[in-house]
Amino acid sequence: MLSVENLHIRFRTGDGLVHAVNDVSFEVSAGQQIAVVGESGSGKSQIALAIMGLLAKNAEVEGRILWNGDDLLTKSNREMNRIRAREIGIIFQDPMSSLNPYMTIERQLTEIVENHEGLSRRDARARALQVMDAVRIPDAKSRLRAYPHEFSGGMRQRIVIAMALMCQPKLILADEPTTALDVTVQAQIMQLLADVQRDFGTSVMLITHDLGVVAGFCEEVVVLYGGRIMEEAGTEALFDQPAHPYTRGLLRAVPNIDDPSDALTAIPGSPPNQHRFPQSCPFAPRCVDAVDTCRDTLPILQQGRACLRPVEELT
Amino acid sequence: MFNYTLRRLLMVLPTLLILVIFAFYLMRLAPGGPFTSERPLPPAVMANVLERYGMDEPLHVQLWTYVSNILCCFDFGPSFSQKDRTVNDVIAQGFPVTLTYGFWSAVFVLVLGIPLGIIAALRHNGFWDYTMTGLAIFSQIFPNFVLAPLLVLLFTLSWGLLPGGGWNGGQWEYVVMPAIALGTSYMASVARLTRGSMLEVLNSPYIRTARAKGLPERTIIIRHALKPALLPTLTYMGPVFVYMITGSVFVDVFFSTGGIGQDFINGAYSRDYAILLGLAILYAVLTFALTLMVDLLYAWIDPKVRAGLS
Repeated sequence: MLSVENLHIRFRTGDGLVHAVNDVSFEVSAGQQIAVVGESGSGKSQIALAIMGLLAKNAEVEGRILWNGDDLLTKSNREMNRIRAREIGIIFQDPMSSLNPYMTIERQLTEIVENHEGLSRRDARARALQVMDAVRIPDAKSRLRAYPHEFSGGMRQRIVIAMALMCQPKLILADEPTTALDVTVQAQIMQLLADVQRDFGTSVMLITHDLGVVAGFCEEVVVLYGGRIMEEAGTEALFDQPAHPYTRGLLRAVPNIDDPSDALTAIPGSPPNQHRFPQSCPFAPRCVDAVDTCRDTLPILQQGRACLRPVEELT
Repeated sequence: MFNYTLRRLLMVLPTLLILVIFAFYLMRLAPGGPFTSERPLPPAVMANVLERYGMDEPLHVQLWTYVSNILCCFDFGPSFSQKDRTVNDVIAQGFPVTLTYGFWSAVFVLVLGIPLGIIAALRHNGFWDYTMTGLAIFSQIFPNFVLAPLLVLLFTLSWGLLPGGGWNGGQWEYVVMPAIALGTSYMASVARLTRGSMLEVLNSPYIRTARAKGLPERTIIIRHALKPALLPTLTYMGPVFVYMITGSVFVDVFFSTGGIGQDFINGAYSRDYAILLGLAILYAVLTFALTLMVDLLYAWIDPKVRAGLS
């Protein structure tokens, strides 16, 4: 359904080009949930914005983003407007700032279907109520007239999810949907996303830095580092036998509830400088398994991993 | 909201009283008085004049008389410098003039400044943005005492299109140039202010959300961005509007429009305490009214403010 092919995203900035996403390819099929995991700056959000055609003006994009066979990157803004929200919805990270504070919830929900499906105000309101029920906003009818500031963070994120669901799109891009929320609310929102996915049959591309969130939710995981795919695998395989030193590092940084004595291990160093297109493994400077070849050869993605060392030799 | 408005209105009177007391004593502190001149009056004449205007009494008695006359009969007293005219006469004659050209000047500022700012923001870093910004800076560095003669030079002397001065009951030909001369630099400020806040709003996450909804660009601008983008302009326009409708000394003098801007300056030169106090009260009342209006408009636009008011 969605096929990202050799996607490169670069930003022209005051001090030169920034290579945010380099040669990233993956696919999302109908009804599938896929996670894109990486630390901040790994380019994961930019991929979502590129799919929506909402990248900043100083971005250069290369490659193809095929949506049911059509390349979204060649579409005009007007053509993209027919796909946005109707076929591909997006949930942004921060529900505090992604809702318009000057408009009622009702208007922010109804305008979507009025625009895409030509519904009357009355029908649009009925749809809004239906969707608000689906995302379990209590007392939806009386809350329609409320403004965003009258809701809690978790409720606002439900509204943002409701907005993404208004046209029942085939794919929802969830860009760190729980990062800005309280821990107690995070689980509820993830559960809600899972329910929505099941009930509406929507594909979900979950963008997150939190491997813990991925485990219960996604079938496929793409691990990004420095704008490149490090590892790509089914969720179970990835958790059982991570085949890339970076993935292993990430997993060691997740607390293990079964073994509290197990100390958390941070990955030393900081994310790479992305001003130059990498000529060697971008993770090599922080990698415990790096050897000399890692520092002068760029690994390519083969059998789901981009690493120059054989799996058996990793620590 | 009603309660809030009432509360604000109730605060007007005490605040005005404080203002009057301060202004009253402050003016008397300045050296000289309405009847001092290069050739001093004979003491007997001076005593007569002072008695005629009640200025022989102690200051606090004068203040009390002044305030009670206003409260009982809306009487702001006689002018000290303009013979046989009361302050009420002076304001009744001059204020309609400045109100007229000030109002049209404000219309000019808003009708031109806001669209210019929006267009510049929408064409950010494009040709129109640079043209508008250049124009705005250009008109901002043109003070009205340069702009007014320039206008007269072009429209009156060269092309003979508009009269170079006078008022003539406020016919439109006589209003155009005062309004433009007074408003141009404010128009430029409004354009730049609107451009800046529109750019900020357009980069906000909720506009990105609106774009992700696949709404047409026009809807995004009008429905989502316009209200918040106009908030700074609204704040700015409150006091500026007061300034405009009370007129500018320069415009009154240069175009001989006969507005209260001129009266204020003349009053200051001749220590005409009555005129000065009367006009100060007028400015204060207008400022109250306008800031209250701006606050209510704010509440109308921003639901968070509205919630705070009730």
